[in-house]
Amino acid sequence: MRKDAMRETMTTGRAAARLAMWAFLGFFLLVSLLPLAWLLVNSLKTNLELEAAPFALPARPSLANYATALATADLPRLFANSVLVAACAVALNLAVASLASFALARESFRGREALHTALTAGVLVPLIAFMVPYFTLMTRAGLYDKLAALVLVYAAINIPVSVFLVSSFMRTVPKELEEAAIIDGCGFAGRFWKVVLPLSRSGLVTAGTFCFIYAWNEFLMAMLLTSSLSARTIQLGIRFFTSQFVTDYTGMFAAIVLSIAPTVLAYAFLHDKIVAGLTAGAVKG
Amino acid sequence: MRTTARSRVLALALLALLALPSLAAAQGKEIVLKWPCIWVGKDSKAPAIAEIVEAFNAANAGKVRVEIEPQPDYNAYEQKVRTALMAGQAPGDIFTLKLNASTKDFYSNKLLMDFSKDLTGAWRASFDAGALAQSTIDKKLKTLPFETAVLPIWYNSAALKAAGVSSVPSTMAEFWPAMDKIKASGIAPMSQMSGDTNAWTSMIWFSHFAVSFGGPDIWAKPFTDKAFVESAKLMKRIFEGYTTPDAVGAGAGVSGGHFLAGRTALFSNGPWYAGRADLRATPFFPSIVIARAPAPGPTKNFMISRLQANVAAGETKDKARRAAIVQFLRFLTSEENVRKLAQSSGAMFAIDSGYVPIDPLQKQFYDIAAASKVTANDLEAALGAEATLEFAQQLGALALGKVTAEEFCALVEKKIDR
Repeated sequence: MRKDAMRETMTTGRAAARLAMWAFLGFFLLVSLLPLAWLLVNSLKTNLELEAAPFALPARPSLANYATALATADLPRLFANSVLVAACAVALNLAVASLASFALARESFRGREALHTALTAGVLVPLIAFMVPYFTLMTRAGLYDKLAALVLVYAAINIPVSVFLVSSFMRTVPKELEEAAIIDGCGFAGRFWKVVLPLSRSGLVTAGTFCFIYAWNEFLMAMLLTSSLSARTIQLGIRFFTSQFVTDYTGMFAAIVLSIAPTVLAYAFLHDKIVAGLTAGAVKG
Repeated sequence: MRTTARSRVLALALLALLALPSLAAAQGKEIVLKWPCIWVGKDSKAPAIAEIVEAFNAANAGKVRVEIEPQPDYNAYEQKVRTALMAGQAPGDIFTLKLNASTKDFYSNKLLMDFSKDLTGAWRASFDAGALAQSTIDKKLKTLPFETAVLPIWYNSAALKAAGVSSVPSTMAEFWPAMDKIKASGIAPMSQMSGDTNAWTSMIWFSHFAVSFGGPDIWAKPFTDKAFVESAKLMKRIFEGYTTPDAVGAGAGVSGGHFLAGRTALFSNGPWYAGRADLRATPFFPSIVIARAPAPGPTKNFMISRLQANVAAGETKDKARRAAIVQFLRFLTSEENVRKLAQSSGAMFAIDSGYVPIDPLQKQFYDIAAASKVTANDLEAALGAEATLEFAQQLGALALGKVTAEEFCALVEKKIDR
């Protein structure tokens, strides 16, 4: 009898705990999805509907904002520019950061720690401090209003974060593996390419993801270093719906939905590979 | 000796032959003028500006071409202008800026073209003399006054009537009871905001109060002056009881949105807002009355106004390029083009174009500007960007009771570069 009562209490307790867990998870799911749902719903409304009732459903859902978004800001072209800039910036950033991290994590030389600290301390410098130097540098190099300017700047700005992440991963690679490679005839480049770099994939994926997100969302440098549509990115296209005094919010929401849709779709199809990349090497056999 | 002379002549002839094609090319080469332009995208002046540039390019095909570089985000555009000038480069061949205490520093910069010798005769006469005087510093005219604005108060008279207020309040004695009635009718009386970089709509209200208390020259006085303190007290009272709950931190979009949705009855903004399609779609659009704010001080019958956009150009030693810039600016500021811009956008200009508005709402702006005996700048136009940013940031603190009116004014005063 007492056992039954105990079992019942335990079952009730477990159910309550499970309920609390689901409520907790449900709450965070709501917090995460509500802004996206709100964005999608409001992109189907008129500005007047939005201003009158921001949380109501549209009286007559319309795709007019999407047509406006595509026509006003030349979004497909800006989207392609963003993809190109972000991909090239990630590639360049990882190339530089992995080489720097290899030297800092695996080689011994005087001033190594000081150099590592100086490089990674760049994370703390506010972006605004780079504006005048980068503007001067890019205009004098003849790269103003060129996608290459954005690639270089985005790759450079993210080097401190990438070096910090990648060098941390490279430090965890057992020294014995490198020693074995040396015995097998590997030199400096061989140790980097064949041993340390493949084992630091997780760090590279994380650093690359950070760099990609930064390059995709960055606005200020894109505005500063470009002037024509041929060299502009998606974030500038979204701003085409605001002016000094007037903002076409629903048009802007449609542009935002269009700009995030391909990345969301790509993630939906590739998420298993991304997660595998992020967790690869987490458990070493 | 003879041989040397002959070879010199031959060398010169050869040089001339070599130079001829490049000279011819230089003479025939199209001059391309870059214009980082804020009047693009959804801006009400965008279609007319595009049309003007297209017409200029067609008329000067093969000689001069103006290329618009779209700058849709105004705050970022200002940042870009500042960054370029700090880096020792003009942000474009042609560009615009708000002429205020902060941007007047650009006049000391050699990167800006001085128009004082170009702006003569009929061209000069077409500009408003006061606006030209404001734009002339140390006898240099490095920007041409272009867009101007009056910044009155917008009254939704339908909402006023529904609340039992029969006319627009012109004194403070009429103002507070009217606001109480509107509040009792179930809506917030006024759209206010402390967000963005200038707390735009609230900054306009504050400017009306300060000029009324201290006269049109009030901006030359310290911000700790009684006129500013009294104005701050009025703003605090408004924020505490007569605006929407989200006013602290709200931006211009929120402030305007409340008025458009009929959630507030009073709003403040310039004439460009009249061109909005969603404003025209509101049921109360025909009942909008443009008037002054009630005057709490001795100065009455004035209007808050500003030079909204001045046109500048990058200095160049290339005479042909310089001439092309001046040619385009003459075209842009011609009566016909200014009329086109005014008609399509509702904006007002420092150039006499003979434009008489037909639109009733637009006409109210012209009428109130003409009827005002005195005009005075608003806070941002008078004191610059940094002081205005501090005003916006501290306005929230004032509204929430974290600082007193005196402390608020002292904090803003610290940011004024005199």
